[in-house]
Amino acid sequence: MEGLKNTLEYLLTPSAPIFIVGALIVLLVPILVHFFVVRTTPYTTLPTILLVGPSGAGKTSLLTLVERGDKTVPTHTSQTPQPVELTVSAGGAVQSFRETAKEDAPGMHKKFLLMDTPGHGKLRKFAMDRVNTQDSLKGIMFVLDAAALDENLPATGSYLYDVLLALQKRMGAGKTSRGPSSIHVLIAANKSDLFTALPVSLVKSNLEAELGRIRKSKSKGLLDSGVGADDVGNEESDNWLGTYGAEKFSFSQMREFDLEVDIVGGSVLEGKVDKWWKWISARV
Amino acid sequence: MLDTFEILTTSGVVLWSRSFSHVNPAIINNFIADVFIEEKAAAAGVKDTKSAANNPAYKADQHTLRWSFSKELGVIFVAVYRSLLHLSWVDKLVDNLKTIFVDLYGEQLQKPNTTVVRCEKFDDYFDQQLRELESKATTKAAQPGGTAFIDEESISGNLGDEPPLPPGLKHRNKVHDGAQDRPSTAESTPVATPNQSRPSTPGGNHLVVGKTGPMGKVSRRARKMQINSSATASSGDEGPGRKGKKAPKKGRKWDADGFADEDDGVQLDYSVTGKSATSDSEAEATGRSTVVEEIDSATWGSKTSKGQFVLRDLDDEVHGILSSAQSKNSDNAPTGIVNTGLSSINSLFRNIVGGKTLTKEDLAKPMDGMEKHLIEKNVAREAAVRLREGVEKELLGVKTGSFESIDTRIKKAMEASLTKMLTPTSSLDLLREIDAVTRPSTLSGRKPRPFVMSIVGVNGVGKSTNLSKICFFLLQNKYKVLIAAGDTFRSGAVEQLKVHVRNLKELTEREGGQVDIFEKGYGGDAASVAKDAVKEAANEGYDVVLIDTAGRRHNDQRLMSSLEKFAKFAQPDKILMVGEALVGSDSVAQARNFNSSFGPGRNLDGFIISKCDTVGDMVGTLVSIVHATNVPVLFVGVGQHYSDIRNFSVRWAVEKLLST
Repeated sequence: MEGLKNTLEYLLTPSAPIFIVGALIVLLVPILVHFFVVRTTPYTTLPTILLVGPSGAGKTSLLTLVERGDKTVPTHTSQTPQPVELTVSAGGAVQSFRETAKEDAPGMHKKFLLMDTPGHGKLRKFAMDRVNTQDSLKGIMFVLDAAALDENLPATGSYLYDVLLALQKRMGAGKTSRGPSSIHVLIAANKSDLFTALPVSLVKSNLEAELGRIRKSKSKGLLDSGVGADDVGNEESDNWLGTYGAEKFSFSQMREFDLEVDIVGGSVLEGKVDKWWKWISARV
Repeated sequence: MLDTFEILTTSGVVLWSRSFSHVNPAIINNFIADVFIEEKAAAAGVKDTKSAANNPAYKADQHTLRWSFSKELGVIFVAVYRSLLHLSWVDKLVDNLKTIFVDLYGEQLQKPNTTVVRCEKFDDYFDQQLRELESKATTKAAQPGGTAFIDEESISGNLGDEPPLPPGLKHRNKVHDGAQDRPSTAESTPVATPNQSRPSTPGGNHLVVGKTGPMGKVSRRARKMQINSSATASSGDEGPGRKGKKAPKKGRKWDADGFADEDDGVQLDYSVTGKSATSDSEAEATGRSTVVEEIDSATWGSKTSKGQFVLRDLDDEVHGILSSAQSKNSDNAPTGIVNTGLSSINSLFRNIVGGKTLTKEDLAKPMDGMEKHLIEKNVAREAAVRLREGVEKELLGVKTGSFESIDTRIKKAMEASLTKMLTPTSSLDLLREIDAVTRPSTLSGRKPRPFVMSIVGVNGVGKSTNLSKICFFLLQNKYKVLIAAGDTFRSGAVEQLKVHVRNLKELTEREGGQVDIFEKGYGGDAASVAKDAVKEAANEGYDVVLIDTAGRRHNDQRLMSSLEKFAKFAQPDKILMVGEALVGSDSVAQARNFNSSFGPGRNLDGFIISKCDTVGDMVGTLVSIVHATNVPVLFVGVGQHYSDIRNFSVRWAVEKLLST
């Protein structure tokens, strides 16, 4: 008891060592907490390219191909998003992605994340969340199966519609003078190695027609639950993809919202992804 | 025989696979979609890190899949084999390989931002496990042929013989070293050894090795091993300590192998305890290291005896890994008082700052609160419990983010869980579906026909009202609609529909909609009325047929059985069930019974939840019915007017459910 009293008295009496210790505590604790917090939060400011698209289009295969450089590995339905850190070198005269992806390729090196997302209907939230929030997002690759587009057109179209509409709203949502950075979209028509694969021009026209149909039926459809009666009027033009009131939809209408949409064919299994890679390197 | 064994991550990349015959990849894709994404089968157990034996086998297309899932690493282990074969050892194989894989490559798997896992060496481990389990199975299968008494002994003897078996096994493995003649002799070994080598005395081990030796090298080597074993602890497999353990092992293992596969682990456990303490700890120490390192550390004493050691050690290593995992599982050693004190302070601190690893105790209380909250929102208890269990399993062992409390983390996880549950698998756009049927593209080669939609439900939930709401919506889109009065039972039902049709006609006349009623009065057979209506619509060029049905109690088999005939006669493109938001936990049974009443191969296509405006935030019925049937909600009714019907928005529902 006496000892405790003495200690307390010593601690509460102003003296040099007490001041020093106290000052140290006051200064160091915030710094330590800072480092503790920083260490536990991951470092994510790398530019990101998002891989989206319906299930079975070849997103994960593409991911494994560009990561390994020479071969794909077999894949199954994804359930979780998977980022992969890749290097791209710009400025060199090389053409093939295999060379530009190498660590010792000539030119400037840039690191970026290629983010694979699940394409299953129930799991598209992962992708849509990232479209809506991520600032470091530089581009979106919409991978689709050009060989089975006929059967999958409604599903593929509605996913593409959702992605484009989300991007369009994102551009419109910026209230500050400096708008959000523009995100380019590449529609990668995969599986051109197959016999039934449609040529790029046909993929484009089919998608445009489908998006036009979706746009039309959405405009006539019912309101979503939760939409109040008062904000019906101004919602109308917000939910219209592309130029409002236009008869036909075309991807060039997206330029109005600073969205560049390209369609490029290729084949993951044959390794014909150089054009896609070039697009990626232009974005990051 | 096994068809395929695959190890894949949740992100869909196959890390390692071995295929014995071609299996359609769609089988595994469907398995993932059904079990993991839509959680159709055994919803509760999916996220658990359980052994393969507890996971229900997934059967599809003449194949059976046994699987196991490592949650923290996100790795799925699947074994596929023909359903005709009853391979009882497969779940054991899956379990063992999971333990080994996680142990060897766990660190590689945790690396962020890559999908590359170097696991070429896993081939050896797989071969070893497959051989071991298969040979066990064949000896078991061979057993019933002989006389009971001796066989019993021979089997138990054989099992006791396990430790000497590795030399034989190792021989087969010699393929790696390039010896050509070995495999052929090895073929006979598993059958031969049990009969020849039956140690009746504890000292029989020397004898066994001598007998087994059609190859002199083995016995010599094995003998050397034994000499070594007495000196070094590292190869204590054949040591005397082992023999002491034999007696209890016999009894247990036989029991376990016959019935509960899980108990097989016990046998392995014995093999550990059989080892001396040093070798055990060594196994733990080397468990994480790669194969090469393991060999180095374990065989430094006797490197002279050629490459055979590599495989011998593989066996040992595998058993070491398995047993260390087993022992890790079994001991949850309570720490000292100082330790607990410190950790409780630590956990308090982390509670505020975040970065806390969640345990079951941490979660219990907030999860109780969350479950109660859901039940207060009118979610059926069954669905609330499922959601709770799903979220709990998802969060166990998860670290909270910086400055994130447990409650916010749980709320986040619950939001994700609800969204996943309520989001439909494919997009639901009624107008486009109608267009696809009534005006098919010329390429598809289908004939245009009317789109048939029928509405079922319990009495008084608002079937007719919602039917007319949908009709109003279709009329606004200029479709030609025929309403069929399928309720031939309740007095006034037909007149009620007639009133609706008259109102709708007046309302939409100017906009160009066209609607008529098809009725055959009371007392007729509803199914044939519906059939006639569809025929009539096809003749008269209607776009859509809406069929009203009589309300029926879902647990009255007599009333429900007529629905099957109805579905067969009318062939509706869409069967929608109306459920009211007011109903409580009965919603689960309602949805289930209606969903299963249309005969095999036909289910409900969607729900309309009526009277949502009367419940405010308590929209739990939505969750209950989707939980019960996996069928999506299409529309919600939000008022009394024809226009008060809305598309179902998942975000709106989740917000309402989680709001306080």
